[in-house]
Amino acid sequence: MEDDGQSSVAETLDPALQKKHHDMLERLSARHQARKSDSPDSSSSSSSTLESTSSFLAKFSDSKRSIESRIAESRLASSSTDSSKLKSDLAEISVAIDNLEKLLAENSYFLPSYEVRSSLKIVSDLKQSLDILSGELVPKKKFSFKSKSTTKKPESKLPEIQKPDVVLPPKLVPVRDSPGLRNKHGETLVKSFEGSSIGEFTLSDLDSCQVKLTGTVNALFLHRLKKCSVYTGPVIGSILIDDVEDCVLVLASHQIRIHCARKSDFYLRVRSRPIIEDSNGVRFAPYCLDYKGIDEDLKTAGLEEETNNWANVDDFRWLRAVQSPNWSLLPEEERVSLLTISGDS
Amino acid sequence: GLLSIIRKIKKKEKEMRILMVGLDNSGKTTIVLKINGEDTSVISPTLGFNIKTIIYQKYTLNIWDVGGQKTIRSYWRNYFEQTDGLVWVVDSSDLRRLDDCKMELDNLLKEERLAGSSLLILANKQDIQGALTPDEIGKVLNLESMDKSRHWKIVGCSAYTGEGLLEGFDWLVQDIASRIYMLD
Repeated sequence: MEDDGQSSVAETLDPALQKKHHDMLERLSARHQARKSDSPDSSSSSSSTLESTSSFLAKFSDSKRSIESRIAESRLASSSTDSSKLKSDLAEISVAIDNLEKLLAENSYFLPSYEVRSSLKIVSDLKQSLDILSGELVPKKKFSFKSKSTTKKPESKLPEIQKPDVVLPPKLVPVRDSPGLRNKHGETLVKSFEGSSIGEFTLSDLDSCQVKLTGTVNALFLHRLKKCSVYTGPVIGSILIDDVEDCVLVLASHQIRIHCARKSDFYLRVRSRPIIEDSNGVRFAPYCLDYKGIDEDLKTAGLEEETNNWANVDDFRWLRAVQSPNWSLLPEEERVSLLTISGDS
Repeated sequence: GLLSIIRKIKKKEKEMRILMVGLDNSGKTTIVLKINGEDTSVISPTLGFNIKTIIYQKYTLNIWDVGGQKTIRSYWRNYFEQTDGLVWVVDSSDLRRLDDCKMELDNLLKEERLAGSSLLILANKQDIQGALTPDEIGKVLNLESMDKSRHWKIVGCSAYTGEGLLEGFDWLVQDIASRIYMLD
């Protein structure tokens, strides 16, 4: 039966098509031969893609071993070497790990997913042992690439910002403002979202204000707040904070991102890990808000349970195993107790 | 040369490499997990990157989901090589940072290594009242002035409800397939 089926398929195939197929196979095998013979050149000159799992694994494990031994050497030599040498050694190892990661990224398209995963694990293990090592050896020094990236950014950005300006005015399309409270000084601002259809809400350019928001929204944006106290009911999606100083913020959300915060206290309940970036002097404590109906609002936002993530802060400017100097836990004796607010002013 | 060999290998495995980028808080990780049918209720901001291998129709998608925080945007370039499809995710409710969003996208599209990749723009968070529509986002990003050789499409979506995600990825996968697997 099977034989019959096959032969009938072969018969129905167009002979021209068969010829084409045959030619293609020949071309491919010729190309394969050509590639084999000149592969040492091409792999070193044009690209670091290796196109075979075994040659990738060989190269990968070579680099891995060399990095591991350099980490071990640095650890042994740490007592006898001076700190600037040590720092440059660590930076070199870090570059080597980055290159290893790059090698993996470049070759990932043909690697079996198991190899990608296990190689990723190796890279992250190497990073971790380097973090631990640098934490032990140079606890107070920052890595050089940090300051580099901050100085580089504005330079590389400037010409690119100007370019589109010449071609078209930046605000070609009038963008409407989202609902929010803006440009206030020394006021108490109260807003209830209960029964409203507001999805996103913005607080921006507030100075010395007290803000009380009750009910739930999907997204909350805080931008340029100074000397403010902000108490908000649970946010279902995410809160994005940019540029706050001398503030007390009591917030609950699925995700919370904090950029450019200085000298501020955050009382948070958050389902995932809160993050800070370009911030310092920020302190964290658990959410402590109460108003009529908050239990239902917390349930709506899936925040009825304390996750203790308020203390699991990731600092994107401090990707090391040792504690970031930019944030701390707010000592219990300095925390405010339960804050009770009402939705009416 | 090399390109045809890559095509050949990819043809055999029907693999596509997709790079997901966009500003922080745009919803990249949530989109990937939602497409894969995973729980999206607890997702931390991405420190570094995630790789997800998803079987989509008859193709294997290797999706690289790279963190969008400012500090780590400079590392995006490490993931450009061999990218078949680029997914640019926009938080349609974040009106303030649309200029940032446009600038970062413009920078990305200048990148030679991404020149041949199909571009899907996902105008995410359409479930949020007050979010800009895909048309409005398209105008702000000035998509019409894009290089004529680029294959692109903008689709409104919500990673929260899942709406629009399949429409977007269907287009992306078909577009890549028609370029790479023309022999089929």
